[in-house]
Amino acid sequence: MRRNRKQQIAISEAELVSMTNDLEDAHHETLPSMRESLAEWSDSNDDIRAGITRLVSTPSSRRAFLFGGGAVLGGVALAGSGLGGGLAAAVTRSGARSVSSATSAQKLTGDLAVVALAASLENLAVGTYQAAIDAVTQGKLTGVPDAVVTFAMTAQSQHKDHAAAWNGVLTGAGKKAVSGVDLTVKQSVDKAFAQVKDVPGLAMLALDLENGAAATYLAAISAVKSPAGIKTAATIHPVEMQHAAVLNFLLGQYPVPDSFAKTTGARTVKDKIG
Amino acid sequence: MALDDTRLRDLLTQSHDLHSDAMETTRVALDEYVELAHDDPWADVDPATRRATLLRGLPKSGVLAAAGLGTAMVALLASPAFADKTMDVQMLQTAASIENLAVATYDTALTLDFIGGASANAVVKAFAEKTKAQHQQHAEAFNAAVTRLGGKAQDQPDPVLLGVVNNAKPSLTGPAQVVDLALELEDGAAQTYVANTGTYSNKNARTVAASIMGVEAQHVAILNAVKALLAGGAADLIALPPDASKLPAAAGSVGFPNAFYPTTDARPASEGAVQ
Repeated sequence: MRRNRKQQIAISEAELVSMTNDLEDAHHETLPSMRESLAEWSDSNDDIRAGITRLVSTPSSRRAFLFGGGAVLGGVALAGSGLGGGLAAAVTRSGARSVSSATSAQKLTGDLAVVALAASLENLAVGTYQAAIDAVTQGKLTGVPDAVVTFAMTAQSQHKDHAAAWNGVLTGAGKKAVSGVDLTVKQSVDKAFAQVKDVPGLAMLALDLENGAAATYLAAISAVKSPAGIKTAATIHPVEMQHAAVLNFLLGQYPVPDSFAKTTGARTVKDKIG
Repeated sequence: MALDDTRLRDLLTQSHDLHSDAMETTRVALDEYVELAHDDPWADVDPATRRATLLRGLPKSGVLAAAGLGTAMVALLASPAFADKTMDVQMLQTAASIENLAVATYDTALTLDFIGGASANAVVKAFAEKTKAQHQQHAEAFNAAVTRLGGKAQDQPDPVLLGVVNNAKPSLTGPAQVVDLALELEDGAAQTYVANTGTYSNKNARTVAASIMGVEAQHVAILNAVKALLAGGAADLIALPPDASKLPAAAGSVGFPNAFYPTTDARPASEGAVQ
């Protein structure tokens, strides 16, 4: 990936990298408890299948990029006039490809339908970040700050971990992993992505995806029956919220705008996955 | 420093507006909570969890065995004393105690010149003020849930974490030390709520905690970024909007080191319960 290296960095990069490495170690220490939670979930397949989901569709946030919004992250711009079809290609390359609806093909119901929805949202996030990374690599997006590049790569890596966790639940329950994306959301993302002309625009799109994922998990915590499922969603929701906070900061918006997380914009199991 | 005070005030106003929307969601959850609790506090709890939670909440006494467990359960469920001993109420009281301590700690921090005074970074000061207000709202939400379940509101700080704060006070000689202390409290709160979200037997209690845990995690993310910038001598980059072109690469990821939020440092469920 091409990076903007012309700026003078007024901070010890080595120190920050060292701190990041320490935190990365801490991250790996959290994985065993996550695996334990997933195993617990796989052990309770009967409960999962019997679970009742009632994710409620709610209007998107008024801050949502897809319905307008501003940005103040200046100084960077796209070489072209929008990222066009880059997202579809990136989604394919990132492993999320077009397949028939995972939920309908497998007739998933109850908690497992929520798991499939979660996996498809994570796949979409992975693909969208990949498209952004590709845009930088291909020179379609120039002058991208190093911090933004690092954010995109790290967030994408974590979304891959989330997708793997959700798919682990599906395969543990004897179902197929979801390799597709939430097509209902992707329709809006495709339109928005084609209009992106600069880094702030891209960051707003990412913010919308992160807020949507966080809202979906918060709704899922109230909807799923499986205790292990609740625990899994509970460990991922705060991380999506953190992604949103950093994006808000980079965009110059107050990073913690709400005292209580919202379910506004949560996706539902009615979304088409493919 | 690169700060647009007018813009920051606008952002805080917008934030307050958005917060009002979020409060409405939480009020709905609390209202549902009340109805459920009055109808049947165990309405949506599976039998195994109900049994395990009841046993955790009971005093260790031979009286129960003599009286017959079933009869004793009915009697305890109907008494205010029992309400304070149920696991859900204890977890909510502990959460309120953590929030109370956070409010007091930010209050103290804001009396320090380098956090709330003339020499403070304006964004750090605004963050401390706003975050304190958010913790106050969290405490009120947790206590509302407690009282509506028949328990006593917790107006005291978590006793164990209070010791941590008191021990740290003499060393609060600069912004970095304050950020370290705030991080410890915020991360402890987030981890506790994440852990408890999977433990609450009542769905609406779970919803209240879940709607707060991500906000504490956001505080952690921003404090991690601020900590890194302070450590690198780049306090001038702590601004809204930041000069993104000057931010070091690691600043983009230092705020969220874990793909899955940990719970290893969660506070014990009854640590801040009303005694």
